[in-house]
Amino acid sequence: MAQMGFFYDMTACIGCKTCQIACKDKNDLAPGLLLRRVIGFEGGKFPQPWVYYLSLSCNHCSSPLCVSACPTGALYKEAQLGAVLIDQNKCSGCRKCQQSCPYGHIQYNESTGKVAKCDMCRDLIVAGEQPACAGSCVMRALDFGPLDELEKRCKETRPLKNLPNSGLTGPSIVITPKPEALRAP
Amino acid sequence: MTRQPPKWITAACWHNCGGRCLNKVLVVDGKVVRQKTDDTHPDSPLFPQQRGCLRGRSQRQQVLGEDRLKHPMVRKHWLPGGGDKELRGRDEWVRLSWDEALDIVAGEIQRVKRQYGNQSILAWDYASLYYSQKMTGGWGGGSEISQVLSLYGGHTNAWGSTSWGTWRDTGKKIGLGIANGTNDRLDLQNCQLVVMWGANPAWSSPGSATYHYLQAKRAGSRFIFIDPFYTDSAQVLANEWIPIRPGTDHALALALAHTLITEDDPATNPLIDWDFLNRCTIGYDVMHLPEGADKRHNFKDYILGSYDRQPKSPEWAAKICGVEPDKIRWLAREIATTAKVALITSFAPARINNADSWPQAFMALGCLTGHIGQSGRMTGISSHRNAANSGPALVVAGDDGVEFVPNPLAHSTINQNELWDAVLTGRYTAGRGDTKEIDIQMIYHACHSYLNQKSGIVKGIDAHRKVEFVVAQNYVLNPSAQYADIVLPVTTQWEREGRLFNGNREMLLFPDKVMEPYCEARDDIWIAKELARRLGIDVAQVEPVCGPQQLFNQLAGTKVINKDGDGYEPLVTISPGDIAAMGVTGKPQTGRITLGEFKETGIYQVSRSPGDPFSYIHLKEFREDPAAHPLDTPSGKLEIHCQAIAELVRNCGWTEIDPIPKYTKPCEGYEDTFSGWETGTKGEYPLQFYSIHVLSRAHSCLDNVAWLREAFPHELLMNPADAASRGISTGENVLVRSRHGAVRRPVRLTERMMPGVVALGQGAWVAWDDEAGVDQAGSVNVLIGAIPTGQGHGGYNSCNVQVLKE
Repeated sequence: MAQMGFFYDMTACIGCKTCQIACKDKNDLAPGLLLRRVIGFEGGKFPQPWVYYLSLSCNHCSSPLCVSACPTGALYKEAQLGAVLIDQNKCSGCRKCQQSCPYGHIQYNESTGKVAKCDMCRDLIVAGEQPACAGSCVMRALDFGPLDELEKRCKETRPLKNLPNSGLTGPSIVITPKPEALRAP
Repeated sequence: MTRQPPKWITAACWHNCGGRCLNKVLVVDGKVVRQKTDDTHPDSPLFPQQRGCLRGRSQRQQVLGEDRLKHPMVRKHWLPGGGDKELRGRDEWVRLSWDEALDIVAGEIQRVKRQYGNQSILAWDYASLYYSQKMTGGWGGGSEISQVLSLYGGHTNAWGSTSWGTWRDTGKKIGLGIANGTNDRLDLQNCQLVVMWGANPAWSSPGSATYHYLQAKRAGSRFIFIDPFYTDSAQVLANEWIPIRPGTDHALALALAHTLITEDDPATNPLIDWDFLNRCTIGYDVMHLPEGADKRHNFKDYILGSYDRQPKSPEWAAKICGVEPDKIRWLAREIATTAKVALITSFAPARINNADSWPQAFMALGCLTGHIGQSGRMTGISSHRNAANSGPALVVAGDDGVEFVPNPLAHSTINQNELWDAVLTGRYTAGRGDTKEIDIQMIYHACHSYLNQKSGIVKGIDAHRKVEFVVAQNYVLNPSAQYADIVLPVTTQWEREGRLFNGNREMLLFPDKVMEPYCEARDDIWIAKELARRLGIDVAQVEPVCGPQQLFNQLAGTKVINKDGDGYEPLVTISPGDIAAMGVTGKPQTGRITLGEFKETGIYQVSRSPGDPFSYIHLKEFREDPAAHPLDTPSGKLEIHCQAIAELVRNCGWTEIDPIPKYTKPCEGYEDTFSGWETGTKGEYPLQFYSIHVLSRAHSCLDNVAWLREAFPHELLMNPADAASRGISTGENVLVRSRHGAVRRPVRLTERMMPGVVALGQGAWVAWDDEAGVDQAGSVNVLIGAIPTGQGHGGYNSCNVQVLKE
């Protein structure tokens, strides 16, 4: 299998949230449920403020903590694309996966009593399309493809603020950071 | 039951957002299940997919929202003549049949005409307001009601520049042009420096504009942003952000000129392009004035303070604009000593009261530095459909064949800043020294969101509660409909037959019908014809060309630039079968693509490549030979001294300007935050307020879409220093009060906003609370006063407020 992943060029992102909305449309999400979130971070002081955005969905980790935490086996990593998926038939709504995800990705759906997560738009990929979010990005800051290809585009390995060390779960995401987003050494 | 296979249909994204992109919807068993954007070709910077933004991607929430207007309605306490008019905006609604509703509307039109005359009917001639929907390839109607009323004797109209600020008249008169101010997007990559003066394409010009600027940055261009806010455009593109107070750009421009004029030495320190200034402009000094001009009205002497004893130095400007003198000098030298500079602005700094001379001051900077009319050099507006990519359209829709019926009362037109006062007091300014009487008794809202989107909403609501009859047609209960007596539900573009829509210069969109009319919604043209029947007007005159024929005419007349770039050729191949299938009259023709292909793809786009013949350098021929290619000005040149704009402003009847761009203190600009300018004592409204285009709305459209509200909460942007002195913390509700009204909003504290300035996104639907005397929704035009100045433009960015903790 070829692990698929996301590429996010923070330096090109204008924080428009088109990716967030494209995901909501594809997954028919009510307000309150965000399977892709764009979060803005600000700092500094006028007249030298800084800003950067993070657009995050599930990172389809190589060592997903949510899968280990799930007591029913509802969460699993499939073999073809490396996507971490939920079998909703097996989900008991215990939310242990939600507690275990270091990226805070997994969402609880009050109306179904089960959890929801990004499924990599697996049905679109299998049909030869891009995930809704990556194909929507007006700045081409967000992209999708085989992880080893994406890793060739950015060699940055320094850890970022507000994100766990990638050694923890092995997220399938490559981020080109702005200097402000790097953790202080 | 036979099931239809799932089908992708091109869905109109019809909004006046400054872009327009390709959106498609997947229809399964007659139901729209999801959307996608352009995937008609592989994506590249040269041939970019026309990707929709978050608004376009939310459209099915809008078109299929629970709040779509389903049936004609009358407000419960309406009676002929108005009934309890004070209940407009807060009454209950009663469902009517279409016949009942149309009978009432036609009956009231007849009654008002008989009792008060046609002049008493206020409607809007959308076509003339926006220089014809026809030129823009279809804004979805809007002039149907104006046409009916014009055939019935006419109606009163309103006028005044909305989006374009003072560029509409000044830009035209000085020769620089209104909207086509930059070179094309590939030439932008030749710029060494791009100055973005009051331009925020990430929020105001979606579509590909910011992406094009990013290509320029990647090609090596440096960016300087001049803006009160550290915008998301700046966050991606800027090498430097120069904060500036709203409405003070004119002072900065004059100070930049002062630096150039006082420091220039052609031999040792060349800053001024004397060749360009001498050949291509008038007004710089006494040697370059038109016949009969007052010799004192020359730019150089004004800048030096030869007559008014006030040099327009950086020190002088710093007090007004807030930019330090050293920074002003640095900026002037940077612009003048860099070979290839784009001086780019948007309309925002021109949406300031009394700002009639600002475009001329901005142009003067371009004239002095000569950054006009060459590769990598440009001065002007980069906005809306031309953002980051000006030039003649490479693919142009054909004319739909509709000839508009002229309004017999075209002369009865009131400036937007006096409109509500005219309704309330019965008087308006018809020109210099010319006051006219008017008795408006009926308001007909079709297609637009006038009440919410024009300044002075509190007076607007009073005006709506004064007249005898208000009718609105819309697809959702926006403020214009909320304050009506009768509301007629209309279809959106998704429920209509296809029509061609333009976007940027490189493409043309061909959306198709997605679904049947929602509930009882009807097309605007159907309503117009029904009214015409009842009024005894020949229906054929209301719809001289039927919908399918209009579309055919557009398709047949659509032209695309030929491969050599020196002419146009037909785009669409039309067969006899196509003509028969559409049920129209016309001749077959040969083009580049078949009608079927165009409809299937939903878009035709011209690809660019370096060195192709589709580039555009604004004013190139003029610069090379002004005599052979004169501009449309009396001198044929760029007019730093412009008698025509001074006369136009004078004739409007409110204020006066000089022919050269003298600094004019704007009403409710920075100076008006003081009760004592000399002593620096702040007044009752010590903060500047401006209204910013935001990504969650297209003007007032889409304010009701929950996904967009979730993505972009409607918060007052405020600097922490201003909040601290008021005891305000982030997220708290505050009261914002101006001389004209008050709104409540949660506040978002951010170091990105300069101190002394607050801002709200424009377009939120007013939720006027009569008891509290405050707008709970934060509609900017509750705060912004309708103040007539200059050319009668909207001063949406000139407003003084106080902000109070609740």
